[in-house]
Amino acid sequence: MGHEPAPLPLDGVLEYLGFLLDGEGYAIPIEGIAEIMKPLPIAPVPRARREILGVMSVRGRLATVVSLRACLGLGPRRVDARTRILLVEAAQEDLGFLVDEVTGVFHVDASEVEPPAVLGADFGAHVRGAARPDGELVVLLDVTSLLPARAGEH
Amino acid sequence: MEGGSYREGAQERARDEFFSEAQELVDALTRDLLALDEAKRRGALRPELLNDVFRAVHTLKGLSSLFGAVVLSALSHELENLLDDLRMGRTELDDGVLDLLFKAVEAYGRILASEKQRGESGGDASAEHAHDEVNELLAELAALATQKGRPAEVLAQYAIDPAMLGVLTEYEEHRLRSAVESGLRLVRLFVRFPLSSIDASFDTLKDSLRAHGEIITYLPAGDDDGGAEERPVDAIDLEVIVASSRSVDELRVAVAAQTSRLDEIPRRVGRAGQKPSVPVEAESRPQVGLPDLSYAQEPSISDLSIEDMASVVGLPPEMQQALGLLPAQVELPAGASPGGASTRQISLRSVSQTVRVDIRKLDRLMNAVGELAIVRGSVQRLADTLRLGHDGAPATASSRRLGAELLRVHRMFERRLAELQQGVLDVRMVPLAQVFDKVARIVRQLSREHGKPTNFVVTGADTEIDKLIVEELSDPLLHMVRNAIDHGIEAQAEREREGKPATGTLALNAFQKGNHVVIEVEDDGAGIDPQALIRRAKARGLLTELEAQEMSAKEALALVFLPGFSTKDRVTDLSGRGVGMDVVKTNIAKIGGTVEVQSGLRIGTKVVVTLPVTLAIISVLAMGVAGYTYCMPLASMEEALALDPSQVRSMLGREVLSQRGASIPLVRLSELFVSHAHEVLDAPAAPRTLDKYVVITSIGNRRVGFVVDQIFGQQDIVLKALGPSLAGVPGFSGATELGDQRVALVLDVAALHEEVYGQSAERAKQLEAV
Repeated sequence: MGHEPAPLPLDGVLEYLGFLLDGEGYAIPIEGIAEIMKPLPIAPVPRARREILGVMSVRGRLATVVSLRACLGLGPRRVDARTRILLVEAAQEDLGFLVDEVTGVFHVDASEVEPPAVLGADFGAHVRGAARPDGELVVLLDVTSLLPARAGEH
Repeated sequence: MEGGSYREGAQERARDEFFSEAQELVDALTRDLLALDEAKRRGALRPELLNDVFRAVHTLKGLSSLFGAVVLSALSHELENLLDDLRMGRTELDDGVLDLLFKAVEAYGRILASEKQRGESGGDASAEHAHDEVNELLAELAALATQKGRPAEVLAQYAIDPAMLGVLTEYEEHRLRSAVESGLRLVRLFVRFPLSSIDASFDTLKDSLRAHGEIITYLPAGDDDGGAEERPVDAIDLEVIVASSRSVDELRVAVAAQTSRLDEIPRRVGRAGQKPSVPVEAESRPQVGLPDLSYAQEPSISDLSIEDMASVVGLPPEMQQALGLLPAQVELPAGASPGGASTRQISLRSVSQTVRVDIRKLDRLMNAVGELAIVRGSVQRLADTLRLGHDGAPATASSRRLGAELLRVHRMFERRLAELQQGVLDVRMVPLAQVFDKVARIVRQLSREHGKPTNFVVTGADTEIDKLIVEELSDPLLHMVRNAIDHGIEAQAEREREGKPATGTLALNAFQKGNHVVIEVEDDGAGIDPQALIRRAKARGLLTELEAQEMSAKEALALVFLPGFSTKDRVTDLSGRGVGMDVVKTNIAKIGGTVEVQSGLRIGTKVVVTLPVTLAIISVLAMGVAGYTYCMPLASMEEALALDPSQVRSMLGREVLSQRGASIPLVRLSELFVSHAHEVLDAPAAPRTLDKYVVITSIGNRRVGFVVDQIFGQQDIVLKALGPSLAGVPGFSGATELGDQRVALVLDVAALHEEVYGQSAERAKQLEAV
């Protein structure tokens, strides 16, 4: 976790999954997502860092549930009927990112992606750019660098 | 391997087979060399061991050649020559030679690993290095070899008296080799000639045989040539070797006038159906030299089974047996054995009693059994519901009956499942010997390198432990052993001054203790000076002055596990990168174990490693805290009881339980296990009474009581590891799935104990400082 995100391809059509956090639009590349699911029973892991909500079991495998809100510095929000988990199967770990609501898949041409600078000065490595699939601004994120480095690993 | 052609699959399988065969042979070689070394030190000779080593190398040569492992093949070839010299007594097995053999076997292991990787990754990284190493070895071997002449290796396949082979002239040797390569039969005659007419008699013999074959050589027969009557003083017995294309019977007839004692020298090669006679029609017969098949030549490998390959290479049947590869049928040619036994058939069944299994298959099996255990739990709940009803619906008579029946069936299921579980666990178990042998080799090397003769004692090598644990053990064990020889055992002169025997002793002990395996690495060396440790820790800023003063000798010994700690300034090449005991401790903890150091100054040091017998399935007590379930490994648990508030006291700012006169520190898990999840997730229903029970645990002789809300009961679970993002979270060794997709975290009792006792010490010091 916390390594450099792969650069966006310069051409071609990119496919993203869009979701909402506090009503704002975000998206991650669809190819990284193994499954979109309603939250399963989650067991909290006491004394884990704030971004980690707990663990759940998906088809016999443990997945770490991460609050995407907390990763981006947003406050907590209770799970409701629209909450979804985006399951990303990484090499060493399965991660489930909790989001407020999923909006859907959209396509955007690589040439239409705006660089992160457009969002202002302060952004982390996890922001790859922005797009406006239907007029509204959507922030494109890189999942792999979303989870900050482990505590003690600076 | 999906989607490849069958041919590719077969090639891949053959390659895998090769690597496991080769590795087994290398392991066997290591054991034999160690035994030879041991025997040599006792002044004993073990010729049969030397012969075994020779044959193993011979087999390796064949296998390597067959698979185009050119480097291995070349090395084996030269090694085989050396070993042949050794077993024939032409070269002496001195320390230098033995060292060379060890080095060669080690090189084998490395080359095997690099060839395997090269095949898998296509990369060639270590090949260069390996080649240099091998070239060096080959040069050394060649140097040794040029001192002696030696018979062609091909002759080693025949049961010819070594003494005879040894005295063959170059020409005779050439004739013999040539006869063998032409596929002629070798026959041995015993004749008795009167001394007075020996020349004439011999000429007559030659005449008799001329039409049928060639006399290669002859030798005065030894006295023990089997059952001859007392030799008259004026006669001489001769053993004559003849090469011929005729059958034994024909030859017998030819020389009947002069002798009746004639039999074939058995050839130790038999390809199914082929008789080693009839040389002229050169059909496709197995070459005595080795075919150079490479991975690239598809048809050769993928069309042959490993058994065929073994025969082609010319493995003696008993070697094939040992490798678990018996050819489908081996017909020994008529007359092959003395007395002309009729054809024998060796059965299809392998004599080998073991099966090699891919550890990943075992893991899948384990998981399946684990999931089955969860299903069993569901069946039990269902039975209970039927019998007892559930809220809103009381049990009817018929559901009670069904429930009782289901419960009976469930009990049988439970028993069978327990057997299955135990069986699968047993399959994963391997004896520690496999890692101990490796350690033995290193000890030998190290003690020589440092001129510190060391007596290496091993007990309990047959103690079994999970295969996955064993894999992780070798690095920590090797490190401990290096420490013992480098820092522990003193130089001879110093030992003598101390009145100790000049030879140091290093002991490796293993034994099972309940659910754990204990491994001890013990030396009778200089021991560890607690004061030196304390001084060093202070110098490194790891201890305050006050702490240093308060520290007991026992606590001081634990300082070695602090990161960045090392009692020697220089990084010796033994300890490599200066890897310290803290890494050892971390690695042992990764496999669920603990490590402890005991020492007596000038007496010695003992490092004690305690490991779980198996990682995968553990028995736990399921407990409830704030509505969530946690699992407590039974191995650490002493007892669980209702918490009696009147027995709780406060000591040094911490709660303790008074029980039977002892004070046990208490930890209320509802306080310790805080998380932010409640801000997001719906809280589960909280139980009516909180902090109702205390579960008393013990590690070593320290106890901690954990206070929980609910106790659900005992069960077996499959322990699953938490992901890397959770690695820093203290107190959990993993998690498991209970029924219906719920997850329970499993407690790491040792880590929790550390927290408790670490904190207590902290607090005590703080209070005293006040």
